[in-house]
Amino acid sequence: MSNYKYIGKSAVRVDGKAKITGAAQFVDDLDFGPDLLYAAVVESPHAYAIIQKINTKKAKELPGVVKVVTGKEFPYRFGLYMHDRYIFAQDRVRFVGEQVAAVIANDPATALKAARLVEVKYKKLKPLLNVGDALQQQGVDRVHPDLANYFHVPWFYPKKDSNIAHFRKIRRGDVGEGFGDADLVYEDNYVVPRYAHCAIENHAAVGKLDHDGRLTLWTASQSPHTQRHLFAEALAPLGFTHQNVRVITPFVGGGFGGKAGVTMEIVAAALATTVPGRPVKLLWSREQEFYNTYQRQGVEASIKVGVKNDGTITTLEQTLLWDAGAYVEYGANVVNAAGLSATGPYRIPNVKIDSVCVYTNLPPGGPYRGFGYSEFIFGLESHFNQIAKQLGMDQVEFRRKNAIRAGDQLAYGAPMHANGLLEAIDRVKQEIAWDTPKEIPSDSSKVRGRGFSLFWKAPAMPPNASSTAFLKFNEDASINIMVSGMEIGQGYLTVMAQIAAEVLGVPPEKIRVESPDTDRNPYEWQTVASHITWSCGNAVKRAAEDARDQIVDLIENVLEMPRDDIYLENCQVRSKIEPDFALDFTEFIINGLMLPDGSWRGGPIVGRGMFMPEFTSALSDPETGQGGKPNVHYTVGASAIEIEIDRDTGKITIPKVVLAIDCGQALNPDLVKGQITGGMLQGLATVLYEDMRFDDQGRLLNPNFTDYKIPTSLDTPDQIVPIIVEVPQGDGPFGARGMGEHTMIPAAPLIANALYDALGVRVKSMPITAEKIVAELIN
Amino acid sequence: MTITHQFDYIKAKSVAHACKLLSKKGDHRLLSGGTDLIGHIKENLATPDSLIDLKGIDALKHLSVTPSTIKIGALCTFSDLLNSKEMAKYFPAVQEMAQTVASVAVRNRATVVGNICSAVPSLDSAPLLLTYDAVVCVVSSKGVRKVPINQWFISSRQSAIRKGELVCAIEIKMPAQKHGATFVKLGRYRGEDLAQASVAVVALPRDRYRIAFGAVAPTPFRADQLEKLLNGKQLTDNLVGQAVTLIPSLVSPITDIRATKEYRTHMCQVMFERAVETAVARLR
Amino acid sequence: MKVSFTLNSETRWLECQPNQTLLHALREQLGVKSPKCGCERGDCGTCTILLDGKSIKSCLVLACEVEGCEITTLEGLMQSGLTPLQKAFLDQNAFQCGFCAPGMVIAATELLEHNSSPNRGEIEEALAGNLCRCTGYAPIIDAVLDLVDNGGK
Repeated sequence: MSNYKYIGKSAVRVDGKAKITGAAQFVDDLDFGPDLLYAAVVESPHAYAIIQKINTKKAKELPGVVKVVTGKEFPYRFGLYMHDRYIFAQDRVRFVGEQVAAVIANDPATALKAARLVEVKYKKLKPLLNVGDALQQQGVDRVHPDLANYFHVPWFYPKKDSNIAHFRKIRRGDVGEGFGDADLVYEDNYVVPRYAHCAIENHAAVGKLDHDGRLTLWTASQSPHTQRHLFAEALAPLGFTHQNVRVITPFVGGGFGGKAGVTMEIVAAALATTVPGRPVKLLWSREQEFYNTYQRQGVEASIKVGVKNDGTITTLEQTLLWDAGAYVEYGANVVNAAGLSATGPYRIPNVKIDSVCVYTNLPPGGPYRGFGYSEFIFGLESHFNQIAKQLGMDQVEFRRKNAIRAGDQLAYGAPMHANGLLEAIDRVKQEIAWDTPKEIPSDSSKVRGRGFSLFWKAPAMPPNASSTAFLKFNEDASINIMVSGMEIGQGYLTVMAQIAAEVLGVPPEKIRVESPDTDRNPYEWQTVASHITWSCGNAVKRAAEDARDQIVDLIENVLEMPRDDIYLENCQVRSKIEPDFALDFTEFIINGLMLPDGSWRGGPIVGRGMFMPEFTSALSDPETGQGGKPNVHYTVGASAIEIEIDRDTGKITIPKVVLAIDCGQALNPDLVKGQITGGMLQGLATVLYEDMRFDDQGRLLNPNFTDYKIPTSLDTPDQIVPIIVEVPQGDGPFGARGMGEHTMIPAAPLIANALYDALGVRVKSMPITAEKIVAELIN
Repeated sequence: MTITHQFDYIKAKSVAHACKLLSKKGDHRLLSGGTDLIGHIKENLATPDSLIDLKGIDALKHLSVTPSTIKIGALCTFSDLLNSKEMAKYFPAVQEMAQTVASVAVRNRATVVGNICSAVPSLDSAPLLLTYDAVVCVVSSKGVRKVPINQWFISSRQSAIRKGELVCAIEIKMPAQKHGATFVKLGRYRGEDLAQASVAVVALPRDRYRIAFGAVAPTPFRADQLEKLLNGKQLTDNLVGQAVTLIPSLVSPITDIRATKEYRTHMCQVMFERAVETAVARLR
Repeated sequence: MKVSFTLNSETRWLECQPNQTLLHALREQLGVKSPKCGCERGDCGTCTILLDGKSIKSCLVLACEVEGCEITTLEGLMQSGLTPLQKAFLDQNAFQCGFCAPGMVIAATELLEHNSSPNRGEIEEALAGNLCRCTGYAPIIDAVLDLVDNGGK
């Protein structure tokens, strides 16, 4: 293995002390002084209605109210991949909870009271609450009649005069021939509902327009630069440009995709422009967090697979109908990403995939840890389990036989890269003791089962999504790194410090990685897609190398040492051939070195680094998806579980889960393990406890933790065993690739397959609650 | 969530003072733990004119134990139940119940009396109090009245309390004989949840049983028919089976977001069967 | 109305409306920011503080209720630097985003006050009112167990 000093070591988190002492500041913790104003929004009670009239008179008259703002003042559309969203609803509302107007007041209670006094007259329309209704050709409304005129990225294919916002097709090989070659053709349908991220910190934003025209937003965000860009774009008619829009993002209390892109923050940005000189705060309540931010989209999957008797998969035909909600500016790319990769990590020669993004009158779908992969993997891995069963084949052997290998063609035509999937399968199989009989519980009402699942995921991002880094030394040889990735809990700050530490021989404790301010820190696309370690890590590595080169240049030029003999260690320049030579960074890192004549060379060392993949392309044939290289790489892995089910109550307990992931190179193994433990529980919760429930009017019935049950410390597996596989990523920093989202992806089919193993019951819709299991057993 | 509703706050000096404040015109609510009430005010489900805080009244504090009764004062929290040696000794099942109420920081604040005053169908303390024939002590400016717990729950969210009254304590008679008891609650997971069904079973010597259900009818209730079926008979699989068969006719659960009526009914049967087994084992 | 109490060993007072929650009073009037607003209905535990030595959810308590009481927030636990519990949290990476950490430390602190050697089940029970979406809880439970194994040091 490697001789790294800081890479691959479990360095203490650089943000640890701040977080454990309460010193870490989140948006709502920042002080804005007595001038601070508070905003509250007026929300649509209807899933679909025409706004006929808004009367703000009573609200305006309430003492303490500073401003009442409606959509009239901000008739602008915006969006990340498609401009289909409004700052405030314009002529119509499209989901329950959509912001129609807002009140700014001197205190939060007055703002809330005044918001209730805004009178909105609606004409109700029949809402489309599921994809089946929305896809009807006749007799249903178009949620976005102007769809054909919306700006969107070139890899989206909206269908004119329909509720289809994007239709991703993949066609590879000959599906008809593939089914013809098959000995067994197996078909089934799977349903996945909507889910909520449930970061413990709610969305929050404070906006302030200075009298000199500079608009600053403090937001709880994964995407400061993307937010600045979308704010500047949307508010351009008011004269704003990137130069006078600034986004500052302190610590974020959890993201999971929910704080990517722009949701409620644009309301704060717009409101701030109406009260120049005064900061205005907009906090989402927990309820709003559930119904008016992004939600994980629901999907209905139809899967048809052909296999030979020896277990070789010949064909996959899969249709994914996504309930993408009222606005799909971000969610349509989830649909796209899932469509590109819905084969799972398998080699399948003949593939037909339709991934369809459908507008409905439910809250906007969007990014959620896993980005569409958790959703299709539930069906696919459940399906493969049944096929192995029908073939009388061991399901792990079936998966291993068909597992994708380096050089295999991906569904969109490009080759798969080197990866550790087989190693992951083998190590998981061994750890869960797959070949040894399960324990028989002493309690006769209980029975055990085992499940297995593979998983994969690629970052879904524009082909030119980039990261940059500045790095500066201080007099004491400490370092500040300016980047614009976000520490959302994953440990990004620590890993960036470790990367720079390794290159520059400065221990991570001496490195501060600074949270973003878009006017100070350089560009980063977003902290999403499990790409930040890889992409921003490359930028930081290059910035550190740039700084190192400057140091080496200086030593070479001034001390006339051959550069190849120089190395950096413990904040000193050392020589490979002169063991006694040691020059402290503090001797030159700011002031440079003096020549014999008394003049100076060098000066403050400042590094810069940039990374943008140059091998990707989103251009492909719309009818087949062939020809492009939309994904930079895949992170793959395998997972297995052992569960114990109480036959009478349907309750499941989990003695053991194992997850192996090929993260290329674990830059910080403890942090990798942290992602596995946390992600696995989040995944298990989606299959065991959680789901969003709507009534027949499109109202969310469980916008709170009382009835949307995220796990507590009592609801954890007895043991989660993390396994790190390391097949290096050629273009990753020290060989690393991302792994944050992946850890929750296999959880749902693990439970479904283990349940089948235990009781022979196949549940094809999530969640698989105790109640559902009992209902299946009784039937 | 900021509270928008405005109200007065008065700290009552004595029970008499509280009663006097309560009898005034308007919507006056008693505040002890506040874990329900403050939440309701936040959501504008309660819009009182004033809150009368009882926490300064020593007479309402804590558990008091006499040879014949254990008295749960109006300010006694679920944590107080868990910390009580007497409860551990005489009513371990009450502690088993208290342990299922919300989470530590809520149990430190929420009172048992507040729990029965909410009169929601799912309230955790009711089934055991019913099996122990607890008595609710109510005071008003007119004096004291005692209400047997099985007459306390009138309908969903409505108790037998009258305008101007406050509950000063719940009394439970000390068990005259050895007994085995248990409380079982159905939640969606092991963590904090509102009961979707609950059952309390007390097993007494000579094959006598007391059984109560919660969350499966408009009010928590004593299952008299089950008791009648079991009492005086030796417990056999067959007898328990008969009892289990009877349960669907005794409970009337609703289907809501938390569970369907079918699952609640099924779980009443499973939980009852297991609870009887546990209670009987504890009697031995 | 005027309310006075002991906050982190100092006598403090504030002027508030009866409908002010303790959580908002602490954060907005007294600048004590470690208790967080996560759900404001007692479900998530981010606002957990100690009131007369017992953990409570400060979103469900009115400021006017704490007249004469003793309040301890995370800030108040660190009179002489990091507590052994905080050090154990650091060692185990018992946090990710850090938003639940103040409440989690308070809840664990209360547990250890009453029970110096809790087992895994008791720890799970004691922390069950504090939601964490990041860690999967295992490192948090391990941090407390570690401290117990090391005799509380």
